[in-house]
Formats: sequence, C-alpha cells, structure tokens
Amino acid sequence: MKILIIEDEKGLRESIEEYFMEAGNICETASNYQEAMSKVSLYTYDCILLDITLPGGSGIDILKSLKQNNNTDGVLIISAKNSLDDRLEGLYLGADDYLVKPFHLSELRARVTAIIRRKTFNGSNLLVFNEIGIDLLAKAVKVNSTAIKLTRKEYALLLYFIANKGKVVSKNAIAEHLWGDGIDLANNFDFIYSHIKNLRKKLMEAGSNDYIQAAYGMGYKFTD
Amino acid sequence: MKLFARYNRVNLLTTIIVMLITGIIYYRAISLILINQLEKDLVVEENEIFEYVGMNHQLPQVFKSNDQQITFTEAKPGTVTRQFINTIYRDYQNPKYAKRHHHVDDDDEFESGRGLITSVTVGNKYYKVLIVVSEVEAEDLIKIIFGITAGVILLLLITLYITNRLLLNRLWQPFYNLLKELRFFNIADSKDIPLEKTSIDEFEELNKVIINMSTRVKSDYKDLKTFTENASHELLTPIAVINSKLDTLIQTDSFSQKQSKLLNDLYSAVSKLTRLNQSLLLLVKIENRLLEGNDPINLKLHIQELIIQFEEIFLDKELIVTCELGEKELITSTYLVDILLNNLLSNAIRHNYKGGRINIKLTDESLVIQNTGENAPLQEEEIFIRFHKSTESEGSGLGLTISRQICENLKFTLNYSYDTSYHTFTVTF
Repeated sequence: MKILIIEDEKGLRESIEEYFMEAGNICETASNYQEAMSKVSLYTYDCILLDITLPGGSGIDILKSLKQNNNTDGVLIISAKNSLDDRLEGLYLGADDYLVKPFHLSELRARVTAIIRRKTFNGSNLLVFNEIGIDLLAKAVKVNSTAIKLTRKEYALLLYFIANKGKVVSKNAIAEHLWGDGIDLANNFDFIYSHIKNLRKKLMEAGSNDYIQAAYGMGYKFTD
Repeated sequence: MKLFARYNRVNLLTTIIVMLITGIIYYRAISLILINQLEKDLVVEENEIFEYVGMNHQLPQVFKSNDQQITFTEAKPGTVTRQFINTIYRDYQNPKYAKRHHHVDDDDEFESGRGLITSVTVGNKYYKVLIVVSEVEAEDLIKIIFGITAGVILLLLITLYITNRLLLNRLWQPFYNLLKELRFFNIADSKDIPLEKTSIDEFEELNKVIINMSTRVKSDYKDLKTFTENASHELLTPIAVINSKLDTLIQTDSFSQKQSKLLNDLYSAVSKLTRLNQSLLLLVKIENRLLEGNDPINLKLHIQELIIQFEEIFLDKELIVTCELGEKELITSTYLVDILLNNLLSNAIRHNYKGGRINIKLTDESLVIQNTGENAPLQEEEIFIRFHKSTESEGSGLGLTISRQICENLKFTLNYSYDTSYHTFTVTF
C-alpha cells in the first residue's frame, strides 16, 4: 500500500514511516502545507495520514481540496485536537477516520488497514490470512472451513493482530484498543492474557497455526 | 443595622436635639423681648406719674385698670431704690378671666406679674410707688408661639422620616441591584454585570469600577485557562513522539527481562501522562462550556453498556456489581454524560478492594453509585478539589473535579456521603 504521512513533527513522522515501511508498502512524507499540497495533487495514495496543524496552512484545507478534486484517497486525520467539533468537522469534510494524539503506532496501523480495506475491497467483506478467513460484515471467523465462535473482544483482538502482523504490539496498546480509557483501572494486564489465550486456543483447535507469540513480557506478536 | 435605619436614627436624634436647643433659645428670646416690652410700659406709666406729680403737686388718683395696678405707700426718704421685680398681680377686675389663669389653687386670683418699684416726692412727703402689670398675656403669647413651634417641629420630623425612607430606598436601589448582580457573579460565566442606569454619580462610579474589575478578573481567568489549554496542547506532541518511539523501540531487538520491565514502566508512565493531559484539556473545555449538546439519552442503556465495557475489570478485581436501573431519559450532551458515568464508575472501581461491592441505582430523580472501600468517610469538600487524591490512588486526581463540573454544566448536583461502609455518590437530576 502507498501511504502519505503529512506531519510536521519530525520524530513522529519518522516513527510512523518506519512502522509502516515494509515489503510492499511505499511511504512518502510531507512536513508542511506546500509540500503536502504538491504531493496530493500529483500522486494518489491508498491512505493519507493528515495532521491538522501544519506550518504554512491547515490540514483541513488540504482535506477540502482533496474532496473538491473528487480524490478517493483514504484520509486519516491525526490531530492533537480532541474536541467533538474537530472530529465532526474532519469527518463531515470526508475524512475516513480521526485519531487523537498521542496514539500507539499499532492503533494507527489498525485504523489505516481498516480504511484501505474498505477502499480496496470494494464491497467484498472477506479478509483472508492464510487459513483464517474473516467475514468483516458478519463478524464471523472461519479457519479453513470450520467456523469458530469468538467473543466481541477476541474478534477485535484478531483483527488488531492481523493489521499489525509482524510487529510487537504492547499490552498497553492492546488494552487501550479493547477497553479504551477505562483500562488504567486495572491492576495489571493479566486479563488481556486470558483473552489472548482463549483466542489462540480457539484458533488452534479449529486447525490454525499458532501465530500469536508473547514478546519479552511486553506484548505480543502475530507472525506468519 | 441597615444603612437607612442607622441614618434615620442619627438624623432624627440630631434633629430632635437641635430642635430642643433651638426651642429653649427661642423661648428665652421671646420671653426677654416680651418682658422688655412690659418694662417699657412700666416706665411709660412711671413717667406719667412723675409728670402728673410735677404738674399737680399731688399723687394721681389710683384707679384700677385692665392690666395695671399702682400703689403708693409712704416711706422714709431715700429708702427706695428703683428696680424691676417679679411679683404677683392680683386681678380684681375680671374674675372670669382670672379664674382661667390663676396660679394658685385657692380662690384668690393671682397672676404672675412684672413690677417696677420707684419713688416720688410730693411736697415734703416721700412715696414708694409700685406699678405692677400682668404677665398673663405675654405668657399666653409665648405658649401659642411655643405650641406652634412644637407642632412645626413634629411635622418636620415626620416628614423627614417619611421622605428619608422613601428617598433612601429609591436612591439606594441601584446599589441593591448591583449587590444582587455581585452575589450571582460567576467567574466562569460569560454573562457580564450590566451597567445600571442611575443619576447618582457615586453609584455610577461604583458600577463602573465593579464592571471593570469583573471584566479584568474574567479576562485573567480566561488567560489562565487558555494557558492551561495551550500548555496541555503543546505537551501532546512530545508525548505522541515518546509513545511512537517506544512503539518503534520494541520492534527492534530482543529484550532482557529487566529491559522489558523498564519499557513496561515507561509505557504506563506515558499513558498516565496522556490521560492527565487529556483530563486537563477536558476540564478546561467543560468549564468553558464548549461541550454542549441536545442528544436524547437513555441513561439506563448507557449504564448497561458501560458495565459490559468494564466487565473484565470487575472480574479482575472480583467486584460484585448490583444494578437497580429504572428508566431515565435525558436530553443533553452524550459526550458529557458518558464521561460523567465513566468517571463515577471508574472511581467506584479504583477505590474498591478485591472482592468489594458496587451498587448502582437509577431512578427518575437520581443516580446513586455506591462502593465499598476504605473504612472511613472522605471529606466531601476536599474530594472535588483538583489533584486532591489519596496517596495510593493511581488516578489523575481530576476525575471527581470533572464530574462535578459536568454536573454543574448540566444543572445536576453531585454529592458524596458515607454510611455503613459504603461510599456513596449521588447525582440528582
């Protein structure tokens, strides 16, 4: 997939670029309004990560010009602005999603994947990963042809892992993805472990390979 | 004591004292003038006697006149000195008149009088002459004058009292209006103190000064809030960088047990920092009333969803949750209500012990969330203060502040109470 990262903060831009950089992915970056405008008008991308506050102009204007030109690139706004109005404005203007800073790169990746999936599959709702098939609309999971019953959280977890395959995903990121802000109430992340254990068990019982690995007590990794 | 009462008291008291003093002086002055007049009459009479004696060389015939008596008595030459005296006037002429004016209780008619003792020599005889005039008429005059004056004073006092009352009440009206405005003054409110129309310079100045002051206070407060908002906002970017670098770092290599422990600690510190920052921003927004809404909300449904959301955490802490949820519809901001519910429930979980209980009760009037926890009541006035938290609390110390502010915005009340080992938070709609 081809991604444009429009972000003025160098540290963040580089991290995102590095996280998305892998075989088959092309990442381009823009650090200010003019650079971003010239890139979006010249090329098309699967997904544009758009910061709102940019030197030289507003990300909102970039979004407006994209939509005026009937550009079909996916747009994910990454902004420090957290108010409902900002979100609504972004989404109303045609952004596909809105992610508030700070975020986990795995969360960003999951959102970008979801956007691209929606754009490229064009109505087909089937996500296939080796022997695992997921019907995104029905939220049903099959291993080969065996249907398995996952809880809501296990299903979300599986999608999250697949989007971040090959990456170490921290327990923090998983917990925040599944439980949102309330997660700081937990004494520890042991209950994440039980969800992962259940998911793994269900997948393997249906004949799938063991893709989920624990990574040095910090998180988990979903690998081929 | 009200200003009016105090003013009236002082005013009336001084008026009465001044009037009394004036009355005494007035009385004295009139008495003096009248007595002076009587003495002049006496001197005229004396001169007439002298003239008569000078022309006729005999004493004039003494006859009784209306208000005058003259008596001649023989005396040794040179024993009489001329002087005015206060004496008694005996009224034979007009018993009726005298009866009304007598000064002693027996039937003799006596009146107070003014007399002149003088002497006259007729031939070789020396006479003492006593001329007495009645003071009754003068006294009557004084009484009338005094009565009228007293009446005027009384009338004046009453008028003063009434006008003061009416006038002061009316004059001070702008002041009372201003006082009312000040009582309802809210620093976070956008409503300004209105300029009261008044013709009194002092009140107008007071009003202007207060308006200036409130505007300044408000703008300072706004600056402070803007600063908080900007500071929090500026912090978000570096936090985002730290977070993303951590995410990148854990992709790099294999880590030892010790390193991964360090990384985990870093992660939780960063996420705590993030939440703290977001809470601050949220609080500023709520205080600025930037978050408003008119969404129909089924509170029961929201609470049920929240409980499902927290399910794993209840299990993790082995909490027993009892719900008694009635139907309650609200029309307000979903966002705020969700934050409120989330904060209150989070609080009940956070300050609970393993195996504790949480009771949630929703009625048409109120939402009550009870939780077990530390076996002592908390200080109600302290727990709603920013950054007030128990030493072992992992929270931001802003949750309850935000909750109370939300309740304030939504015109609810949030109260804390403690009874029979339950900490109870009550939202009254």
